[in-house]
Amino acid sequence: MNRNLQLLWNGFIPENPIFRLALSLCPAVAVTTSVKNGLMLGLAVVFVQVFSSCTVAIFRSFIHPRIRIPAYVIVIALWVSVIDMVLPVISPEVYRQVALFVKLIVVFAIIISRLELFASKEPLVPSFFDGLGMGIGFLFGLCLIGAIREFFGAGQLFGLDVLGFKPLLVMILPAGGFFVIGFIMATFNYIEYKLTGKIPASGGGH
Amino acid sequence: MKEIFKITISLTAVCIGAAIILGAVFTQTEHIRKEQEEKTKKQTIEALLGYGPGKQAPPSLHVFSVYRYVIATPNKERMLAYVLPVKDGGHVILEIDLTGEPRRVIPLKAKEADLAEEGLRDRVVKEAIGKDYQVTFAQALYIADEEGKRLGYVIPSVTQGFKTFIHMMVSLNPQLTLNGIAITESEEDPGLGAEIEQPYFKNQFEGKTLEQLKNLKVVKEPLPQEYFTVLEPEKAKLAGLSAAQVKEIRDKFKDADIFALTGATISSRAVLNGVQDAVRKFAYRLGVLQAAIQKKNIQTAF
Repeated sequence: MNRNLQLLWNGFIPENPIFRLALSLCPAVAVTTSVKNGLMLGLAVVFVQVFSSCTVAIFRSFIHPRIRIPAYVIVIALWVSVIDMVLPVISPEVYRQVALFVKLIVVFAIIISRLELFASKEPLVPSFFDGLGMGIGFLFGLCLIGAIREFFGAGQLFGLDVLGFKPLLVMILPAGGFFVIGFIMATFNYIEYKLTGKIPASGGGH
Repeated sequence: MKEIFKITISLTAVCIGAAIILGAVFTQTEHIRKEQEEKTKKQTIEALLGYGPGKQAPPSLHVFSVYRYVIATPNKERMLAYVLPVKDGGHVILEIDLTGEPRRVIPLKAKEADLAEEGLRDRVVKEAIGKDYQVTFAQALYIADEEGKRLGYVIPSVTQGFKTFIHMMVSLNPQLTLNGIAITESEEDPGLGAEIEQPYFKNQFEGKTLEQLKNLKVVKEPLPQEYFTVLEPEKAKLAGLSAAQVKEIRDKFKDADIFALTGATISSRAVLNGVQDAVRKFAYRLGVLQAAIQKKNIQTAF
């Protein structure tokens, strides 16, 4: 498989930011009360991750290693602010939905960790695909958690009534988010154990 | 020593680069964003007055903006100043002291469009009142007339929400009964507090009178299904309820308290407090303002 495609796939499942790397769990719990929220935040993250990865990859030789972290934070904040200003002009309706989430992205661990681990060492094209893959992986994770929580917590999907009643209200509350992420993570680990026969090492957490 | 310079220059360059990009984007987008904000505000006000998609606002509908300023005279006396539109097309500033007595009436030569922009308006008002006065903008009020008759009032209001402020607009009819509310800006939690923007919550305020509102509470009870259906116009349409049936169910819950949102009692209470506060103060201020206008015999446009 082509390396770029492999990078894309890598962020999607083998190194999924939420379920495998266990990064950015706070937003994953906080906003995934419905699929729509997950989708909106996920899209915003894809944009910021791709733009930040590309910027850092282009300017990586100019950034002094000892100030790389503040420089990365400025790059992320820059793109978040740009999206925050451009989106209301392009589409005020979408902005109304995501305004709350966009500003949160500055502090997402997944973005800065990809800049540090990947974009600061690799050229533009692989960095782009790595950023895109990680962003899509994050988007997928948020949608999956959102779908499970919305279905069981509110009996709905995308705001439409599916069940007509609310089976488990706890799923909508923060505690439900931890349950869902825990169970999905366990499923991922179980599948890995079945496939490789090795007990997965524990990931980091932020 | 040499390294510290390199670090400083590198970080400064990053910051300057980011600042230039942000500045460029800001100057390109700011005026469009402002225009859209004005448009959204106008639409919100019209929607609160009962006009929206599918029901065009008639040309006889006039929404007049009244701006309230808090001023401090050079000898530290505090007063209120209202910017009022007058009949012949201009504006006047009416000063009212804290006991409700009208003071000076100052004619204001400024165009309507200039007054709509906050920064510009503040400057014009300060110039008219006097250089040595302290002038602070407090609030805008919107008075709506249709065919020369009073249609209602729309009051913007801010209240402390769960974490940050909830901005809303409250619409009242001439008898000061609630027509409805709209949440214009809030950062409540999605799925929980953000539900205050849903019709099934907002519409519970509809039709509450000034008297009822004083004793209104938030109750932690499940929202009855039939009430929920009529509160959501879409759901009522789906259920095939006729206008008369909707009215019948609404009348049943006429005196009901506000049903708290599941998992967001604080946000629900915040909205109720904000509405109560806004309406109470408005009712008082309107009385004072109307008395002052009569005493000074100002021919207002509304």
